[in-house]
Amino acid sequence: MYKQKSTDKTISLLQSIATAAALLAFVLCVLILVNYYQVKRSDPLNSPAMKTMIERFRNNPDDEQIKNEIREFDLLARKAFFTTRWQIRTGGYLLLFSVLTVIICLKSVELLTPKIPDLPETTTGNFWDLRKLNRRWVIYSGVFLVSISLLFAFLTHNELGTTLDRISNTSASTTDSIDSTANNNQSAAEPSATDSSTAAVGDSAGLLQSLDGFPTQQEINSNSPSFRGPGSNGTVSQQGFPTSWNGVSGKNINWKTNIPLPGYNSPVVWNDKIFLSGANAAKREVYCFNLNDGKILWRSVVDKIAGSSATAPKVNNETGFAAPTLTTDGRRVYAVFANGDLVALDMQGKLVWAKNLGLPKNHYGHSSSLIMYHDMLIVQFDQSGSAYVMALSGKTGEQVWKTSRNVKISWSSPILVNTGKQMETILVAEPFVISYNPATGSELWRYDCISGEVGPSLAYADGVVFSVNDYSKLAAVQVGASPRLLWESDEYLSDIPSPIATAKYLFLPTSYGMMVCYDAKTGAKYWEHDFATPTYSSPMLADGNIFQLDKKGVMHIFKSDKTYISVNESPLGEGSVCTPAFVKGKIIIRGDKNLYCIGK
Amino acid sequence: MKKALALVLLVFLFAVQVMNSYGIQRFPKPEFESGYVQPETLMPDPRAEVLAIMDIAVLLVSLSVVSWLVLKKRSRNGVFWMSLFSLAYFGFYREGCVCAIGSIQNVTLALFDTSYIIPLSALIFFVTPLVYTLFFGRTFCAGVCPFGAMQDLVAFRPQKLGSKLNAVLGVIPYLYLGLAVLYAATGTDFIICRYDPFVGIWRLNASFGMFVFAGILLILGIFIARPYCRFLCPYGVLLNWSSRFSRRHLTITPSDCIQCRLCENSCPYDAIDIPVTVKNPEDKRTMARKLIFIIILIPVLIFAGGWTGSRLYESLAGVNAKVQLAKQIVSPPKDSNQPETFEIQAFKSSGKQQSLAFAEASAMLGKFYLGGWLLGGFMGLVFGGLIAGLMITKHHTDYIPNKGTCFSCARCIDYCPVKMP
Repeated sequence: MYKQKSTDKTISLLQSIATAAALLAFVLCVLILVNYYQVKRSDPLNSPAMKTMIERFRNNPDDEQIKNEIREFDLLARKAFFTTRWQIRTGGYLLLFSVLTVIICLKSVELLTPKIPDLPETTTGNFWDLRKLNRRWVIYSGVFLVSISLLFAFLTHNELGTTLDRISNTSASTTDSIDSTANNNQSAAEPSATDSSTAAVGDSAGLLQSLDGFPTQQEINSNSPSFRGPGSNGTVSQQGFPTSWNGVSGKNINWKTNIPLPGYNSPVVWNDKIFLSGANAAKREVYCFNLNDGKILWRSVVDKIAGSSATAPKVNNETGFAAPTLTTDGRRVYAVFANGDLVALDMQGKLVWAKNLGLPKNHYGHSSSLIMYHDMLIVQFDQSGSAYVMALSGKTGEQVWKTSRNVKISWSSPILVNTGKQMETILVAEPFVISYNPATGSELWRYDCISGEVGPSLAYADGVVFSVNDYSKLAAVQVGASPRLLWESDEYLSDIPSPIATAKYLFLPTSYGMMVCYDAKTGAKYWEHDFATPTYSSPMLADGNIFQLDKKGVMHIFKSDKTYISVNESPLGEGSVCTPAFVKGKIIIRGDKNLYCIGK
Repeated sequence: MKKALALVLLVFLFAVQVMNSYGIQRFPKPEFESGYVQPETLMPDPRAEVLAIMDIAVLLVSLSVVSWLVLKKRSRNGVFWMSLFSLAYFGFYREGCVCAIGSIQNVTLALFDTSYIIPLSALIFFVTPLVYTLFFGRTFCAGVCPFGAMQDLVAFRPQKLGSKLNAVLGVIPYLYLGLAVLYAATGTDFIICRYDPFVGIWRLNASFGMFVFAGILLILGIFIARPYCRFLCPYGVLLNWSSRFSRRHLTITPSDCIQCRLCENSCPYDAIDIPVTVKNPEDKRTMARKLIFIIILIPVLIFAGGWTGSRLYESLAGVNAKVQLAKQIVSPPKDSNQPETFEIQAFKSSGKQQSLAFAEASAMLGKFYLGGWLLGGFMGLVFGGLIAGLMITKHHTDYIPNKGTCFSCARCIDYCPVKMP
């Protein structure tokens, strides 16, 4: 009896302690939470008082008093923070202790309280029936687990393994290309200078056999498939181009054909076919000319594209409705227009696929040209607010990859280069030069070196990429995982024509007619020459000569050298703002109204 | 009182999390003009060998004492106080490390990666509880494991779940074990440690997610005793297997069962097997046919499980650092405003070639493909085994603890009116 009373007293005591500890724990919890929210709300280092003091200090950097005030305030804030930390931590330990006290007391009560067994009335169900039911439930759970697993696999599987294999194969091809290119003796007049830039688009005996669905590097180099030639880098590895012609007298003019609709895009050539586009506010067309006689083989009207806006985009007169140059892979030709219509036509002009990219948010009009990488069409779409670059399957138009770009609107075009390690497509727009893996769209590196409304495209040679824009600067950036600035200059800048580079030299044209030659590696200026005529066309390097067309249609031809040596000046007899295509010993120039083929 | 306790527990756990949320660097490092040089960040020294030996000694002594309390003294109170000690030592003092549950991963990694040298304490923490279980049942769970102790403390209102739910939920630990072995074998992660629900409380540094997980387990634990031990613990699977063969296991009654049924509802873990006196109503032929069917079915289940697992390999590999890096390189975030991830930054600064990163990721995907087959096959075997197990039953006339699932907590002993002579 006495023992029972004593136990009851102990139980009662333990219950009281548990209650008190629980109350304490609750109060501590509330205090910690209040403390937490108080501190969370205050941000002393960004308080208006601190900001005012910092502003005052900026205006009076020598004022020691303000400096000391800031220090004191900073110290105060740090002290307050660490005091709060201490309070919360100590409170936490007290909390832990009180909760443990509650649990231990209650557990002790449980142990001291006599157990009154809960005698079940009957045994639960038939044992064997229960077993059967359990078996069934195990089977159900197995089926459920398999279903969930398969559903999860279906939802999350993204063919990463296939993608990696594909990249590995591509890398292997690229490595072959690099090795073989190193053994190839380039035949340009300035071999040492053009080697690396030609290597930019690669060539390889190992790749001579055509891979399914896209041309070999040799095929690409023997054509002019994109703006500024193979790789869009301005360098031509073919030889034997004329340096003298006259559009008025007809000297060396093979043929001249009127272009139905206007456009500032440049000609691209595949075998004996030349492709151009023309457009006005109401109509968009793609043309195919015969390289041999200049006759229009076919013209394809681009209209009724799903999603295409009924209203024409607002464009600048110097951009027009068909500024982007087409591209071709010899299987199809691809064109994009100022309203966002993107089409793929077969070599006979028949529509393969088409889509509208949306009306570009571009106040001058979209002008970035297209380029191919293997069987993928790479589209640079630097519009306001949502710039991106993407690759579409050339065959189907399906998106292969799409990468957002945190850049401003630009009018430049992508280049495709082999940096010796890998193929890279490099784009420029304020504020970055950004390199992407053309197979996957993943960003490889970026360099912050440009500003403004970027029009000129990049030049690349021997591991160095050159960017330029008016009111910004000319920058030479060593490419790689950690790009670095080699040199920069702001003496001469371009807003429309793009520079061209060799391993030794950089040639920079300006839209007001200057041509400047720099040492590519050091930035030392070798010479400058004033053509005295505005220039919008971009220079091309062929046969060791630089070909620069001015707005009046005069081609200024000079040696790719550190001294200015003029080779010739050949008039077209018609103005031009487009960049010529060099192929099979012929130069194809788009004049303001006519297409010219110049050959010996 | 119990409701109040649950409320306090909930608020307490939230407050613990609040404390932890301060573990961030709130201020930039001060800039000194006095020439003071900021001290370099130092890595803490490894735990002294003597302390590691002490951990082993405490484990061995605790296991011995608990086994003695369960089998010889048959004292629930003794087991309870030992579990409190274990919680204090292995939980709060040792902060949940070293731990027998997590040691599965150390052992697995040591088996698959020859460059990994398993710490002696991890090996002993893995082997010793299994050996003790083989002799004395799951006395480790009863009073040595801090996980069990933590949950046992809050098991105030345990409810019976019923055999159906127990059977279904009992599959989860096998899956967790399989995943833990897969991720440890591939060197991907120690998921048991990463998703350890209580270590954050012991160390006062739980992430919010893990804190919520721990809170749910503890609150659930008031009504469903030891939810982690029963329906998650991967080490419990090994202990379960080991305990089935235990030489001396806890018995409810020290002598002959008098069929009083007082213990029938005493076990909060549904681990008491009621007497099976009625024979299976199915005739022997039907039973034999079913058994043959299940024997044939098991290889089919293994293959089906393996195939399903192999479909999941890319999802399973998604958490591997090498695969994640390749994925980030191949598919960068669509929002270019997002800053580069630390992984990408580190990769770029390493100067490592992408091709190497892709090759490593490809090799890892290959490992996960094989691992997916093995994991799925294992799960197929588990399901087959469970179904077969539910077809084979030994007849017994007494109330006995289920050797596999009984935690040897000794609660049932107090309910038995038969006492030791």
